[in-house]
Amino acid sequence: MTTHAAPVGARPRVGVVKFASCDGCQLTLLDLEDELLSIVEHFEIVDFPEATSSRSPGPYDVLFVEGSVSEPAHLERIVELRRRTRYLVTIGACATAGGIQALRNWGDHDAFRAGVYAHPEWIESLARSTPIAEHVAVDAELRGCPIDPGQLVELLTALTTGRRPQLRDESVCMECKRRGVVCVMVSKGIPCLGQVTQTGCGAICPRFGRGCYGCFGPREQANAAGLSRHLQMAGDRPREEVGRLFAGFTAYNEPFRSMVTELGGTRTGRTGTATGPAGTTGGKR
Amino acid sequence: MVIRTAPLRGHRQALEGPGFLARPDLQILIDLLREEGRRVIGPTVSDGAIVLDEITTLEDLPRGVGDEQAPGRYRLRRRNDERLFGFVVGPTSWKKWTFPALVPLTRASKDGHKVSFAPEPPDTAPVAFLGARACDLAALGVHDTVFTGTAYVDPDYAARRARVFIVAVQCTNAASTCFCTSMGTGPEVEGGHDIVLTELDAGFLVEADSAAGHVFMAKLPLRPASAAEQYGAAATVAAVRARIGDPVPAAGLHDRLLAQLDHPRWAQVAERCITCGNCTLACPTCFCTTLTQTTDLTGVDAVMYRSWDSCFSPGFAKVAGGSFRSRPRDRYRQWLTHKFATWWDQFGSSGCVGCGRCVTWCPVGIDVRDELNAIAPAVPLVPETKLVEPVAATPNDFVTARVVATRQETSDTTSLTLTGTDPAFAQGSTGQFAMVALPGFPPLPISISRFLPDGIELTIRGAGPATRAMCALQVGEQLGLRGPLGNNWPLDRAVGRDLVIVTGGIGLAPLRPVLHAIVAGRRRFGDVKLFYGARTPADLLYRDELERWAARDGIEVSLTVDRAGPDWTGRVGIVTHLFDQAVWDGANMIAFVCGPERMMQATATTLAGRGVPASRIHVTLERHMECGIGLCGHCQMGQYFVCRDGPVFSIGQLGDIFGREGI
Repeated sequence: MTTHAAPVGARPRVGVVKFASCDGCQLTLLDLEDELLSIVEHFEIVDFPEATSSRSPGPYDVLFVEGSVSEPAHLERIVELRRRTRYLVTIGACATAGGIQALRNWGDHDAFRAGVYAHPEWIESLARSTPIAEHVAVDAELRGCPIDPGQLVELLTALTTGRRPQLRDESVCMECKRRGVVCVMVSKGIPCLGQVTQTGCGAICPRFGRGCYGCFGPREQANAAGLSRHLQMAGDRPREEVGRLFAGFTAYNEPFRSMVTELGGTRTGRTGTATGPAGTTGGKR
Repeated sequence: MVIRTAPLRGHRQALEGPGFLARPDLQILIDLLREEGRRVIGPTVSDGAIVLDEITTLEDLPRGVGDEQAPGRYRLRRRNDERLFGFVVGPTSWKKWTFPALVPLTRASKDGHKVSFAPEPPDTAPVAFLGARACDLAALGVHDTVFTGTAYVDPDYAARRARVFIVAVQCTNAASTCFCTSMGTGPEVEGGHDIVLTELDAGFLVEADSAAGHVFMAKLPLRPASAAEQYGAAATVAAVRARIGDPVPAAGLHDRLLAQLDHPRWAQVAERCITCGNCTLACPTCFCTTLTQTTDLTGVDAVMYRSWDSCFSPGFAKVAGGSFRSRPRDRYRQWLTHKFATWWDQFGSSGCVGCGRCVTWCPVGIDVRDELNAIAPAVPLVPETKLVEPVAATPNDFVTARVVATRQETSDTTSLTLTGTDPAFAQGSTGQFAMVALPGFPPLPISISRFLPDGIELTIRGAGPATRAMCALQVGEQLGLRGPLGNNWPLDRAVGRDLVIVTGGIGLAPLRPVLHAIVAGRRRFGDVKLFYGARTPADLLYRDELERWAARDGIEVSLTVDRAGPDWTGRVGIVTHLFDQAVWDGANMIAFVCGPERMMQATATTLAGRGVPASRIHVTLERHMECGIGLCGHCQMGQYFVCRDGPVFSIGQLGDIFGREGI
């Protein structure tokens, strides 16, 4: 997290733009119902397609960027936006990690296009989906799929008061323990990525009895290799199953990326998709 | 909710000694505490664990529920009784109420150029803790020192702590993760409480330890506890102490640990440690916190909160420019040395109370006891035992010995106790064998199954004519011996480690001296597990010793048979099935295995899957032997003579010749 602490001044100009994404993180901004009036009082929203039809070419004091770089046109657009922005904030797993669509980075891009679209020649997409930070400097990031409203408010508040946003870089486990959530891995044997995942979600998955799937992405110095070894050895799980745990919304961020590359887990495992062209896997042994 | 009526509440004659409270009448104590305006906090089942939460009736308590705990593993189990406290400590610790995870400390606001700060008043609503254990009380004592025992008193803690009434419960069970005995904090409740209960079959032994406790005790429908009840209660807690043993010998631990700041183990444990911080937040004494500010968008009103933090989080020791403990190994070392060493310097006690929460609730099962025993072992590692020179070393020579006792172990197996043996035999080492001869029969290699001050014991299965002749020997008869021959089990390498012994049938004989050595120096080893299989229950060797090792000597004994009889209530199946589902961290394990080669192979594979390195899985091999000293050539196996270079080998030594057909 490399955030400048200088305040952005009175009523900064804020833009919200998207790249390859589902718009869910933008909606989190609109879902801040209790704060919305205060937000528009303190920020001038100049560009926000989900909320308003008014557009602005910038410049922006703060630009929230949702989505990953996934098309050739994105490459130029993000550089141009960066040029017109003072504080660029990426929001969500797509912008910060490449998103679920980055699973294609392990696959055959042309085969996917041909498999999904009737006219693949009309589709302009890049072979890899990549986080914004791979292309331009990013001042702050809000993780998650979608982002957490509390963290969004914290970031906005930090911008108006000029302090460093308090976005903790610690494991999801810390939230579980503070809230008294019983560890699903220890008490139920459910594999959980909470130990290697950055907090911010309030441990929502373990609170509902399921394992964390890492949508906030790897935390600083995440020992994914250690967790992976434990899940394979003590948990007696096959490599690919452990690989698949890491192959989620933030798979393309290291060290999750290395785990997926090393262990596999991006394939669906259904007949015909795993080992090559149809027909080669058929037949009983 | 059960409502008791007034007649039970009258003034009673104060009891001289402990009282007995029928189990249903515990509700009266809960009601009395609640009538005082206290929230009663106690154990209750939630989310697959026994957590601490507010309770109002006996029905909230975990009736007939027990727990099973191991490193990184916790499961509930049904008990065959109605006990309300038949478990040990769970994921919650009482600090949740004396030192909550999130507390508002200060409200601050800005009015033009003026700023103001107003401390938040602490929550002083009275509570009662029902079911605190000895280790929990010790943890509260540690926090008392940290927060109120030095120059500055933490006002929030002091206010919360002052309004706690404590009903302690004696431990009548122990988990595999408990080590209060080593930390000197339990299992006996010996202070820091108002009332203490010891749960018996039909109710509770009740004793008071404070003025407030005596007041409550006088209001309970007690009768004087009988001598048998008092004895039973004491014996149960004493059995818990025996069961836990002394897993982390604490004498000198402070100095031993601080002398090892550069030990390579710190880096090794950091490969397993995820630095998630679970251990610190599960710990009842960890007290580190961080301050966070929340402001509204105007920045006018702010609240400063204090929340639990962990020295394992990367930001914990960060300043502009970086972290002082940038590597995970630094953070693990900080935690362990603080708990077990530097806490003494700061607060005059250990920071660890031995409750085992950090062991159970570590998602990857790192066991502080193993790390301490590996990094700062209580007994220095001794050099590899030098083997004694054998007598009658060459095949033409024999010394004699006399049978002084025989014991029929099973239908076909007999143990012979021999005296008059050469002194060399008494100095033999575990796993060694003797060449045993009767005139007219070929000499045979027989493992020494016991070392005595003036002799040895041999356990022989009558499989052929020579062995049957040996089994038939009577007291007073003699036989010829050469030895002791071969190498030994590397017990030196097992010091400070968890030892797994896997064997079947007669294979227990060469491992029996290992068990004797462990029993003689139990503290030098970590957890010791014996997995032993036999064809039928009647084929189990040394049954009385098996029982004693399990009951008295702190050895986890698991038995299985291929074919069960009507009286067998244990496991059936091959021996590896006893542990192929076990959740073990093999990093600190060493294994000794003896049995048919197929079984040893399967065992080695399973152990390797738990992370036990090949260099620490040891097997003893059986081969045709005639000379016992590498001269006759029968027992060659690859580059080894099994008699001379073995019979004990590590899997790492044997490499891919182990288990290969036709070698």
